[in-house]
Amino acid sequence: MALAGIQIYKLLPQTNCKECGFPTCLAFAMKLAAKQVELSACPYVSDASKKQLAESAAPPIRLITLKAGSDVKAGNEVVMFRHEKSFYNKTGLFIRVKASDPELAKKVTAADAYKVNYVGMDFSIDGFAIEADGDLTAAVKTIRTVSKRPLILMTKDAALLDSSLSLLAGESALIYTADASNYEPLADLAKKYKAALVVKADSLDALADLTKNIQAKGLEDMVLDLGGRNMGEWLARSTQVRKLAIKSNLRALGYPVIAFPCDAKDEGVAAAQAIAKYAGFVVLSEFKPELLYPLLVLRENIYTDPQKPIQVQPGIYEINSPKPESPVLVTTNFSITYFSVANEVEGSGLPAWLVVTDAEGMSVLTAWAAGKFDAERIAKAIQTFDVASKVSKKRIVLPGHVAVLSGELEEELPDWEIRVGPREAVDLPAFMKQALN
Amino acid sequence: MQHTVSFTHNDKQTPVEVSTGVLLSDAAQLAGLDIGLPCGGQGRCGRCAVQVTDGNVRRRSTLRLSPGDVEQGFGLACQTVVEGDVSIYIPPQEKIERRLTTDRVVAEVTVPEGYEYPSDQTVRRIHLELTPPSMDDQTDDWSRLQTALRLQANIKKVNVSLNLLQTIGDVLRIGEWNVTAVLEYPLEDLEQPVRLISLQPHHVDEYSPLWGCAIDIGTTTVSVWLVDLVSGQVRAQVAEYNGQIARGEDVISRIMYANKNGGGQELRQRVLDTINELLETACKRVKAKPEDVVKATIAGNSTMIHLLLGIPASNIRLSPFITAVNHPPLMSAGDVGIKIHPQASVDCLPGVASYVGADITAGVLSSGLDVAEDVTLFLDVGTNGETVLGNRDWLVTCACSAGPAFEGAGVVNGMRATIGAIEEVWINSDTYEPTYRVIGGGKPKGICGSGLISLLSEAFITGIIDKAGNVNLMRSSSRAREGAHGGEYVVAWGTESESGEDIVLSRVDVDNLLRAKAAIYAGFTVLADTVGIPLESVSKVLIGGSFGKYINVEKAVQIGLLPDMPWEQFDFLGNTSVRGAYYALLDWRKREQITEIAKRMTYIELSADNSFYEAFTSALFLPHTDMSKFPSVASALER
Amino acid sequence: MPIEIPKDKWPGSIKTVTIGATSTEGGTRAKSISVGGQASMPYLHYEAPMPNKPVIAIEIKSRKPDDWSPLLVEAWGEAMAEPAQWAKKAEEAGADIIVVALTLADSPEDAVRVVKSVLSATGLPLIVWGPGQVEKDNELLVPVSEATNGEKIVLGICEDKNYRTIVATAMANGHLVQARTPMDVNLSKQLNILISDMGMPKDRILMDPTTGALGYGIEYGYSVMERLRLAALQGDAMTQLPMIVTPGYEAWKTKESKIGEGVPEGWGDWKARAINWETLTAIALVESGADIVVLRHPESVKRVKAAIEELVTI
Repeated sequence: MALAGIQIYKLLPQTNCKECGFPTCLAFAMKLAAKQVELSACPYVSDASKKQLAESAAPPIRLITLKAGSDVKAGNEVVMFRHEKSFYNKTGLFIRVKASDPELAKKVTAADAYKVNYVGMDFSIDGFAIEADGDLTAAVKTIRTVSKRPLILMTKDAALLDSSLSLLAGESALIYTADASNYEPLADLAKKYKAALVVKADSLDALADLTKNIQAKGLEDMVLDLGGRNMGEWLARSTQVRKLAIKSNLRALGYPVIAFPCDAKDEGVAAAQAIAKYAGFVVLSEFKPELLYPLLVLRENIYTDPQKPIQVQPGIYEINSPKPESPVLVTTNFSITYFSVANEVEGSGLPAWLVVTDAEGMSVLTAWAAGKFDAERIAKAIQTFDVASKVSKKRIVLPGHVAVLSGELEEELPDWEIRVGPREAVDLPAFMKQALN
Repeated sequence: MQHTVSFTHNDKQTPVEVSTGVLLSDAAQLAGLDIGLPCGGQGRCGRCAVQVTDGNVRRRSTLRLSPGDVEQGFGLACQTVVEGDVSIYIPPQEKIERRLTTDRVVAEVTVPEGYEYPSDQTVRRIHLELTPPSMDDQTDDWSRLQTALRLQANIKKVNVSLNLLQTIGDVLRIGEWNVTAVLEYPLEDLEQPVRLISLQPHHVDEYSPLWGCAIDIGTTTVSVWLVDLVSGQVRAQVAEYNGQIARGEDVISRIMYANKNGGGQELRQRVLDTINELLETACKRVKAKPEDVVKATIAGNSTMIHLLLGIPASNIRLSPFITAVNHPPLMSAGDVGIKIHPQASVDCLPGVASYVGADITAGVLSSGLDVAEDVTLFLDVGTNGETVLGNRDWLVTCACSAGPAFEGAGVVNGMRATIGAIEEVWINSDTYEPTYRVIGGGKPKGICGSGLISLLSEAFITGIIDKAGNVNLMRSSSRAREGAHGGEYVVAWGTESESGEDIVLSRVDVDNLLRAKAAIYAGFTVLADTVGIPLESVSKVLIGGSFGKYINVEKAVQIGLLPDMPWEQFDFLGNTSVRGAYYALLDWRKREQITEIAKRMTYIELSADNSFYEAFTSALFLPHTDMSKFPSVASALER
Repeated sequence: MPIEIPKDKWPGSIKTVTIGATSTEGGTRAKSISVGGQASMPYLHYEAPMPNKPVIAIEIKSRKPDDWSPLLVEAWGEAMAEPAQWAKKAEEAGADIIVVALTLADSPEDAVRVVKSVLSATGLPLIVWGPGQVEKDNELLVPVSEATNGEKIVLGICEDKNYRTIVATAMANGHLVQARTPMDVNLSKQLNILISDMGMPKDRILMDPTTGALGYGIEYGYSVMERLRLAALQGDAMTQLPMIVTPGYEAWKTKESKIGEGVPEGWGDWKARAINWETLTAIALVESGADIVVLRHPESVKRVKAAIEELVTI
């Protein structure tokens, strides 16, 4: 369990010596609790305290990193629900391919090249899972000529794995899959090639026994396949494993989970559940952009840090189908601010252009106070979004709280008329009816 | 059956005949005596408490009375019926207020125990008898003075300003070589020279006042205490709105304004004007001149101190929020622009960070939080809602922008807690008619902070406003009506008020008050949460603020400003900032203690994540979105 | 080694809310629909049985909308011109509840006529939304409420600025209300408190926490719903209400669903992507605790319904 600031403080020397760079021991303890600083910054902490603090900081779910030309990480998660802190390592999305497929190189090339942009970020797939229905070694060779992404090798045949893994020097692949009958040779291979090993069993009891046996053989990098006959059962198991790891500190199940929506009745639906409910790796049946794109967006949304202020995309928003003569209103991109303005205007039925500026997710007053909502930024937004081309009347309505900006804004935007609107969004419809005609 | 009730009020006895079961309040009315029933005789307010000295009564309800009170014979006149011949004592109103468990009256200002002039004081007045010069003794005036200081006061090194040097020749001769020197001793390093502040001819009476002043520059209110440094007594207390208000209600607007051309200079002048006028008023009250004041100690938030000193404050506002100076050095009043003795030293107390200034370090000193054994919470209910949590081992602090509503500013009919302010309101839950008390007893001019707390709470408990603060217009009373900014409630009709205009609580006022109380509540809850201290483990809540001479804890809990804790855990300290400045003015040890406090405090930035915003919206409701945090309010609503 | 499965024992549970009244219950519906009643986080049957499964509502408009995606027009065809026909087709497509969305162009008489025609065309319970402007909502919903007394319709959408009139008429005529707040746990709770302070029984309120579509703020709605459900289970009476969400409305206003041309190649096939957009938005909300999911495309209805079946099958 993570310690609160005051608990950490009690383990520190309490001398306020400032050598850590913070004004007081308590301030340093707060930073430690927030994981924004390393304990080593304190030269005087006792060994006993060090030990206690290290234990409280150990991650309950092991971090597994698959390495090749790019890395894919899973694990290191600390919460059941994203609002409690955040989900950290995004679910890795793998495309399943068949070793026997004559078009293997072509398919991998297409999937590997896939790149799609979502609000300024480029997304792509994370790797390939190769089914060994043909010559696995040859398939690995083929794939490595066209893609550098991490691989999942899907076979239980130790000899085949050995020859395939030997082609992947310097990488960390994922081996699928070990069970009670074959874990010993596979664990040895995984150790030999620094690979991670998926383990599978029919129940959580059996799964825990298996991971313990493998741990005893000296392999720590494991991934769990939970099985389950349908979405309901998989959800229950995934939730149980996560809770056992995080709340009960059960080391035997403190590993990331892999899911196979490719075998589900509705692949998209199963993949969506896997992303939302704790899967570290997801294997999809084939490369289909119309499903891949929504899944990549869902993954991004679920793994967004919820502690960041809730923002809307800066831009110009159309409310009630505005016309060129409709008024231009300005506000910030704090979602609650945006919603209250948009809802009031939308509810009034009056058409308007709403310009949302990038104020780093702060409300009008906070942003103004922090210098994120000033005449310069507003003018920049008006220009960037090319508002002038959309309207016939160059007139901007400023929030009443920043009436002081009107003078400077007139200087920034000399051919625009600057009007000061009401302070509260609730008074906007009346203002628009009375003052803007 | 008929019984005789004999009332004693103001040393006068009034008997009256009533039958069994008559309320004491009705009996008193029959006798022509006026017992105030602020809550309309509903047994809610406890203001009609009387003492039964003899005979039998039946008490329907003893709400507001402790078991000890009942044992002493107290009963609520509106809830107590006659069951035989009885004698009733009607205590004076002030006595009742002091006894009511909900009321926290700000403690009288008394000289700190053990204060000793001159040993605790850095400013001292010394009589010197100089040997007159002669043709044989051609020593210059200044050396002659230095010699006297060395021989008669053991002062080896002394500094003097040019201005003073220009006058000493005259002063020595007018006083015929008998003079009184006012000197300031160094605080830290005793090897440092002593500074000569003033030199007066003749000997001044040893016990005559030596004036100093403690100043608190609040964003909204400026307070000045005039102090006799010899006796240690506060001889005048004055306060006024900060003249800078005209240029913005909060620190951020002020900083912005100061950045404009000449804005900083204007703001500086405005606050100096406020301070200098207050000093003049205070001095007039004690028949002194401002030039007689030889020492000033100033507390105030970091922005106010920067603006006073004309130091650019813009970096306070911008991340990473760095002040130009947390602890300004000693300056002379002449340089600062405060119109007291120009050589008087002005001591701006040390702050901690941009949003935790000397007002809070001084507040901590005067509240005793830094030496408390148990975990204590200190709330400064001001424009910047600052909170300190801790004890003698650790101190954490945070600040949030609460706005000036509790100081009566930014509210349609708000005003400072001074003559003419409505300071308490009760509303009858059947008729929605209010009863109020006005400071000074005359016609009301407006409502001060404690009145606003009381009014908001009553309007809420009686259902005039809903939990979101909407005025409920469906009520039968003409007092709840549609106003210019939505619904409003009329507290006093124009016929009763000083100005002839209705005094109202408007929807906008309610919103401002809700925001202010929500910010303060969110501030201390998030602070406690961040350090991992449950609120239940806080043993004492100390409340500072300049919104009246008392706070009704029950009302403040009902609106969700204060946590729902037993009333005896609260203490109201009034303006803790000026009080801290006063302690520092008197005693150099206290002054050093403030420096220590500033070093020990850990500042927590609330805007680091969403938790403050969450707590704030959650508190933006009456009393709070989570009713389980306010069990006493839930049961009050059921009644 | 046997592992002890950690189970949360929650002190609170969700209220069961019943929509629609049969003839024996004072209405004309073929059957009523109950939602809520859960005592665990979604679909954790090993902690507590789930008495009612989430249901699907299909949104139809009182007039043929001119701004809906061509894909939706293709799916519903001619039926869109006539609300009664549309409702029938929606029932065939698997709806458990019909949402009738009134428009600004409707007069009070139109509104009453449309709602009555839908009532006679289908035996499903109804939800009726005003066009979303304070005055117009009140003008249309009050006569609709009175004309359908006893049918246990859900009236909406109540928001903090306009809830009194809708709540009052719903109370007077035996209906329910939908309470919407903008993606904030506290605001949700506050509106529920204000509505129940008016005397509305809690088993006649559905809360609508507002959810963005996939890619358009769904994460806020998702977490708000999880937090509301956790608060309810922890015993907070003011959040123990079933949740209604509108992924159909949200998803179909995004350009990913609405538009087929001039979009990035990486978005893939339009129709499949558009339906995925609505379905995946809905699934994420189902996972975070939605009780009523309002959808638009029949294919999404089929997929979400099948997913719910899988989730509730032990």
